[in-house]
Amino acid sequence: MLQMNNVSKVYQTEMVQTHALRDFNLQVNEGEFIAVTGPSGSGKTTFLNIAGMLEPFNEGEYLLDGVNVGSLNDNQRADLRNQKIGFIFQGFNLIPDLNLYENIEVPLRYRGIKANERKRRIEQCLEQVGLASRAKHLPQQLSGGQQQRVAIARALAGEPRFLLADEPTGNLDSLMARQVMELLEQINRDGATIVMVTHDSELARRAPRNIQVVDGQLADFTLYQGAQTIKTASGV
Amino acid sequence: MLEIKPIFNALCRSKVGAVLLLIQIAITTAIVSNAAFIIQDRISYLNQETGYPEQDIFKFNVMTFGTDINLSQQFELDESMLRKMPGVVDAALSSSIPLSGSGSASSFNLKPAPQEGLSVRAAYIFIDDHAINTYGVNLIAGRNFTEDEVLVTNEITQKRTNVTIVTKALLDELYPDGDGLGKIVYFGDLPLKVIGVIGKMKGPWLKDSKPDNFAFIPYIKAESYTQVAVRTEPGQRATVMKEIENAMLANYSKRVINNIKGLDELKNEYTAQDRLMMRMLIVLITILVLITALGIFGLTLFNISKRTKQIGTRRALGARKSAIVSYFLVENALICSLGLALGVVTAILLGKMLMQYFSVAALPPSYIAVTAIAVLLMSLLAVLAPAKRAANISPSIATRTI
Repeated sequence: MLQMNNVSKVYQTEMVQTHALRDFNLQVNEGEFIAVTGPSGSGKTTFLNIAGMLEPFNEGEYLLDGVNVGSLNDNQRADLRNQKIGFIFQGFNLIPDLNLYENIEVPLRYRGIKANERKRRIEQCLEQVGLASRAKHLPQQLSGGQQQRVAIARALAGEPRFLLADEPTGNLDSLMARQVMELLEQINRDGATIVMVTHDSELARRAPRNIQVVDGQLADFTLYQGAQTIKTASGV
Repeated sequence: MLEIKPIFNALCRSKVGAVLLLIQIAITTAIVSNAAFIIQDRISYLNQETGYPEQDIFKFNVMTFGTDINLSQQFELDESMLRKMPGVVDAALSSSIPLSGSGSASSFNLKPAPQEGLSVRAAYIFIDDHAINTYGVNLIAGRNFTEDEVLVTNEITQKRTNVTIVTKALLDELYPDGDGLGKIVYFGDLPLKVIGVIGKMKGPWLKDSKPDNFAFIPYIKAESYTQVAVRTEPGQRATVMKEIENAMLANYSKRVINNIKGLDELKNEYTAQDRLMMRMLIVLITILVLITALGIFGLTLFNISKRTKQIGTRRALGARKSAIVSYFLVENALICSLGLALGVVTAILLGKMLMQYFSVAALPPSYIAVTAIAVLLMSLLAVLAPAKRAANISPSIATRTI
């Protein structure tokens, strides 16, 4: 499903060169549910951004569902994101001026799906996250947990095979976090591959496979499980 | 792919900025279309054909304080001296000067006063048989005055003037069938036979509702204050104007020659206010259009900075750069079309008001249409640069916690 071979990402400013990822190797198979943990600044978000094609990388090779991402132009990357990936963000990133229905509709419109098919999918996804009755509500009329469920519905509406979640429960209290996590597990059981970045080790343990990013590299899960922080800073 | 509906819905939910912009666009359209029409109206007013070779004609005033001469004889001497001056085509005493903003007008009637009949107001000049040549106007029918028909006097006399040369505009109004030549018109109770028709010749007041109604009456009343019109060969006017004072004083010295001015200069003085108004209107609409463009530019920039995360999210969800650009273009076009619709209505109402209170002509729809299209194009141009900037927002903004 996802394969990264020796992927490197360097942030260059005038003064400093920061190696956010170096020689990063990872293989994610179809149907997996992976939790990515690691200390802050370790490169988790950079990994997620590259995996989601939100930013380019400097070296190495990244294959998403067999497509070599490095060789795509901006439009092709946008289309591939739209078709293959569902994003769930820590801050939900719902569009405040659009109601729930319209929010979920956004990626479907970008894909050019026809109105009646959009309607079918949106209603189905809202049903799935338990918010079918609130389609006309605006995001600010919902609680954080409900907003994140809308965001999940938006990610699901495109029927992606690959879900990328960035601290999906980071802004939620523990009860809501648990509900969201259960929803993700359900989605995974339904067949989607999920990569979830989190620094909540308890949450991470619920995922069948845990990986840890330290200093921009993949660390063996078994070595670091339970250990809080081995190295703190990224390679400066 | 145009997302008109969700953009419209989103606009309706946060409408303050959009409504302000919409009003601005409406006001701009209303004012610019009316102002553009008024400017165009003024331009054609200022550039209208007067019938005179304005560059070749000048006038001067004569104030005689000497009492030791017969004024009538002196003026005849002056005229013949002027007509012989090198560079001069012709010259004539003229009771007032066309285009100057000062002159006389009276009603010209089909029946002698006080009988009631068709009456038409027209400006007139008392002048001699050199009128046509001095003013360089075009006699299209009939004949000029003869020397005998000109009454020159500074005394009360029983002799009356009995002919006139009028403009076609005046004659057509008095005789709509076009058979006025040779007929009698009454200047008060004085019957004047129309012996000649001039094609085009503007009266003293361009702003008059009937500036083309004008008549020459062959009568010279010699007075101590009078005006003289002179036509020169093309290019000779400046030279003649310089020499005129000395030449006149050499003929007779107990008088003052002043106010030597070209016909074009007189016209410019008369129309100075109109030109000032026109320039102010041009400045006003330029500023207005610039402010509106800046408003659109600013609002779009503000919207972009407010929606940076949203734009990143849209990109992450699969929006191409072109989709972001078109989002802002569509959003602007929506605000703009509503603004233009309101603007067109306002423009029509404003035009009606101007027509009612300031007697401006009716605003032609073409002015509103052209203005609306221009405002739409300007607004799309104003939004293009910020929209392109928005499209370059990185999708990775979506994962950042701001």
